[in-house]
Amino acid sequence: MAAINWRTINIDALDPEASTNFDLASLSPPVAQVSASDVQNLAGQIRQLLRGGDTEGALRGALESAPYGSDERGKELHLATVIEILQSIRQSDMTPLLQRIYQSPGGSELLDVLMKYLYRGMAQATPLGSKTDSPQPTGFSQISGRGTAEGGGQAMSVLLSWHEKTVEIAGQGSIVRVMTDRRTV
Amino acid sequence: MAPEVHHLFHRPIADHSFSADRQTLAVTRDSAIELYQRSGNKYVLQDELKGHDKTVTGVDIAPNSGRIVTCAQDRNAYVWEPSPTGWTPTLVLLRLHRAATTVRWSPSETKFAAGSGARIIAVCHFEAEDNWWVSKHLKKPIRSTVTSVAWHPNSVLLAAGSADGHARVFSGFVKGVDERPAPGVWGERLPFGTVCGEYLNNSAGWVHGVSFSPSGDALAFVAHDSTVTVVYPSGPDQAPRAVISLTTQLLPFMSLVWKTEDEILAAGYDCEVYRLQGSESGWSLVGSFEQSGRPGMQAQPEESALNMFRQMDLRGKVKDDTQLKTVHQNTITMMRQYDGAPGALTKFSTSGVDGRVVVWSA
Repeated sequence: MAAINWRTINIDALDPEASTNFDLASLSPPVAQVSASDVQNLAGQIRQLLRGGDTEGALRGALESAPYGSDERGKELHLATVIEILQSIRQSDMTPLLQRIYQSPGGSELLDVLMKYLYRGMAQATPLGSKTDSPQPTGFSQISGRGTAEGGGQAMSVLLSWHEKTVEIAGQGSIVRVMTDRRTV
Repeated sequence: MAPEVHHLFHRPIADHSFSADRQTLAVTRDSAIELYQRSGNKYVLQDELKGHDKTVTGVDIAPNSGRIVTCAQDRNAYVWEPSPTGWTPTLVLLRLHRAATTVRWSPSETKFAAGSGARIIAVCHFEAEDNWWVSKHLKKPIRSTVTSVAWHPNSVLLAAGSADGHARVFSGFVKGVDERPAPGVWGERLPFGTVCGEYLNNSAGWVHGVSFSPSGDALAFVAHDSTVTVVYPSGPDQAPRAVISLTTQLLPFMSLVWKTEDEILAAGYDCEVYRLQGSESGWSLVGSFEQSGRPGMQAQPEESALNMFRQMDLRGKVKDDTQLKTVHQNTITMMRQYDGAPGALTKFSTSGVDGRVVVWSA
């Protein structure tokens, strides 16, 4: 008996009613399935708006149609679209634009979606393309190759200034909602 | 009126409860419950209830009988009854395999409900024949830890908030203990375990606090996605008339009380109490209970240059910014009704991680 450390037994595996034995989908509201090609079509429409100079309409459209039910490829496509829009808006236009969206009906939810894309973008900004990144034993990852580092840095600075402006308007609540929401982008 | 602040100790308070005459205050402190007695305008430590051997997570004093129920992470509950020689505990076996998280007497005081980390709510009543507290389990469809429970004024319906993001309404009807409730908006026939409602937010944050409105015809819950949701049911087996979810710019709320049918007070990680007003057509945040320029909370007094440079030298900063501008100096985790009839709350109390119990005028 003494040889068994009972604290290390995974009791959930022995319990048929354990929380590991049910479908996690029931914990979140249902989302509609979206295929990657739909996302692609949408991206085309949004780019059209963007070329026409309607950045607010493009951003709104992109945030309203966030493809929660899509696969990884569709989500990545949409992320690229959102980041393209964000990069095309000038710093001085950010606050008035966010304010207009926030004050419109359902605006607080749109800013929550924007916040999700900001974090998703930040999570991705560095590793993109730079295969030479290797996590060091110290836990830090080193970026080699000047070009990618600068590109990533610029994208990051855009995201950070959007983040600052969004928190100013939607408050810390929007950050908390990104963390709790199971509908990921 | 300025809030009445009682700084009891430097430990987090998981739960607190006042007796009906407000002369006794019970607070949880580690694995014991401390009883404070009012003397003048202070509460003085008078007694300590020891019996649990893990952190106590809930305490509730029954207003009429004066019995105290407590629950702890040791998976047990005790009912403490006053006797000439002190408080006598009765162990209640909740039959849980995870910690009990919260406990509340039903308004009839014949039953209590304890939430737990075992995805179970134990509804307990006293069997006089066996001289024993019996625990019945509400299990389905709870998918995660029950964080809070609240009774309906009819003592039959029970609301529970859970870490799976759902707020649910159950029937806690026990034959022989409860009278058959009148049919209402939540349902007509209510055998034990009936699920009368199940509500989920879009952003699906885990629920911290639930509460029925004073009439019992609406349910409000606060969740970790910084939302307050109010549900107005329309009748048994029908979709609710209205579900209003208010997303706030603030950090999440931990607890809430209803002041009237159209006013909710909520508090949490912002260390402040907020006032919300609304009805079936919509709710909105109207303000905070913190006032600027509260006595004792003013700006730091003018300091001498010598002192300033000494502070900079010693601590590397000019201003002492370790104090928050709010009454509570840390997260508020529990709000309770203190005075006033249901539906006309005049005072409420809050407790939190900073070891303070504060009584506010609503």
